[in-house]
Amino acid sequence: MGLSLLAPHAARADENMLRLPQEVHGWKADGQDKVFTRQTIFDYMDGGGEIYLAYDFQRLRAREYARPGAPRIVAEVYQMASSMDAYGVFTHDTDGQPVSVGQAGLYSAGLLRFWKNRFFVRLQAEDETPEVKTALMALGIQVASGIPQEGRKPSLLAALPPQGLIESSVHYFHTSVSLNIHYFLADSNLLDLNSRTEAVLARYQQGSEKPYLLVVRYLRPGEAEAAFEQFSKVYLRESPAGDAVFGKLEKGQFAGGRWEDRALLLVFEAGSRESAEKLVDLAASQMKGVTP
Amino acid sequence: MSRRDESNTVTRRDFLRGAAYGTVGLAMGLEGLASAGQGRPFAAEKPLSEVVLVRHEAAVDAGHQVNSVVAAEMLDTAMKTYTGEGDIAKAWQRYFHPQDKVGIKYTRCSWHRIHVNQAVLDAITDRLITIGVARSRVTANDSGLPVKDCTALINVPTVKVHALTGIAVSIKNYINFTGNRSSYHFDGSSKLAETWLLPEVKGKTRLIVVDMLRPYFGPGPQINPLHQWDYKGILVGTDPVAVDTVCLSICQKKRHLFKGEEWLISPPPRSIAAADSVYHLGTSDPTKIKITRLGWEKDLLI
Repeated sequence: MGLSLLAPHAARADENMLRLPQEVHGWKADGQDKVFTRQTIFDYMDGGGEIYLAYDFQRLRAREYARPGAPRIVAEVYQMASSMDAYGVFTHDTDGQPVSVGQAGLYSAGLLRFWKNRFFVRLQAEDETPEVKTALMALGIQVASGIPQEGRKPSLLAALPPQGLIESSVHYFHTSVSLNIHYFLADSNLLDLNSRTEAVLARYQQGSEKPYLLVVRYLRPGEAEAAFEQFSKVYLRESPAGDAVFGKLEKGQFAGGRWEDRALLLVFEAGSRESAEKLVDLAASQMKGVTP
Repeated sequence: MSRRDESNTVTRRDFLRGAAYGTVGLAMGLEGLASAGQGRPFAAEKPLSEVVLVRHEAAVDAGHQVNSVVAAEMLDTAMKTYTGEGDIAKAWQRYFHPQDKVGIKYTRCSWHRIHVNQAVLDAITDRLITIGVARSRVTANDSGLPVKDCTALINVPTVKVHALTGIAVSIKNYINFTGNRSSYHFDGSSKLAETWLLPEVKGKTRLIVVDMLRPYFGPGPQINPLHQWDYKGILVGTDPVAVDTVCLSICQKKRHLFKGEEWLISPPPRSIAAADSVYHLGTSDPTKIKITRLGWEKDLLI
């Protein structure tokens, strides 16, 4: 991830892609669209913009739709610098009913979210009615069809071993702000995450246990090892003998992990040392097939 | 790099074993933590702080619309119980006088849409007028409240779990007074309680009325309707730390119920711990708080 350096023509193309329909199922665009950038996102959501900035957010277009006697609908189209970040924002909140809109969508009681290519889209109604749901789905499909190509998911997802993976638990992110929302690790940036690291967090069903697997890919050699040493010392309070360390923690659960090249692989809340080591080993094996 | 000296770092392990953030973990129901005070949580026999929680099944209908008459009755019940006064006017006269200029600081976050309901604001204003405060001396606002001119404040927040702060209730409700809201979201929002000590704010808060009719327990930042529920409650107190601690406990239990497994509020609300131990605004120790519960008991969660 990094700051977008779009050529002017690319920026214009994206402007076109941000166009929204004027009307859907009787709901008509109401008022001027609002556009927000990285610099002005807090004007739209003071106290919430940090979540989008933790990904490489570029621009937001918001439009309201109104239909007499019906709940209003707010359409928000977030343009990210990459499809990976659009996917990442989509995984911030995974609660909802999966729907076939964009590359993946979720619907929940008057809220439709989906991602496609570099766009994350939220369509939210004031209240849910059967007509509202129909309109939201139609609007979502129209918006998605206006984005001509699909984008690729983060290659780091391939590091997740498939066996036992709880798909709805997968979160992709970059910074410790995001990590601590999904799994509070420490009040400091213990793993030295930053805008250029990639991380994926997921849970696994292992009998009655549901351990977490965290895979981090750093930009530069040496960063994974440094983070591993810091994690071992501060979190596990262990001195690693080599490139792996595991410990028995509170509630009798196990945590630990290892580093390899630019990757850090950690497991939390495993039922046994063996299961923790196995999950890390599997992830390390998967990691070898992950494209840089 | 934001790496800090390891001795200053609070880890998940520290928090889970109660070695950090004071008694916040106790309020969140973490297992195995020793009680700081005596007695059961939220049932202190000699409480440092008291709160009154009133719930009514008819406060919110199936379409999530608030019944303003019921909400006003709930507020009256809460105030009479909290003050021990049988007469509602006398209850309000405990805190406000006709010569006061009262600022009602409510929460209205347009993008998040977890607003204080107008019914609650109207009920508060009506009662102030009932005891002789002129309407012209009552100002209700979210941002732009003329706090310098106010002689008394009523803190009227909603309840929402917050991705950066842990939970936003009465302590965070004064963030608008800073003029630099986003700066208070860093470092675990640990400095939020500073807002209560600003010269134009300090000592003016006479009452806290929490709109718990439809709280929010999701990760945000924007609302997912699945994470808002009709709790149908109004909570009254004067200790912001105790009030927020009670709301934290309720929201934490709701999250566990929603997922059917542990789903800790994350990050832990460091602002509540700091409001207690650093800024001394009140107590976050559940064993030093007494809740009086009235009304609808279904899914009380506390």
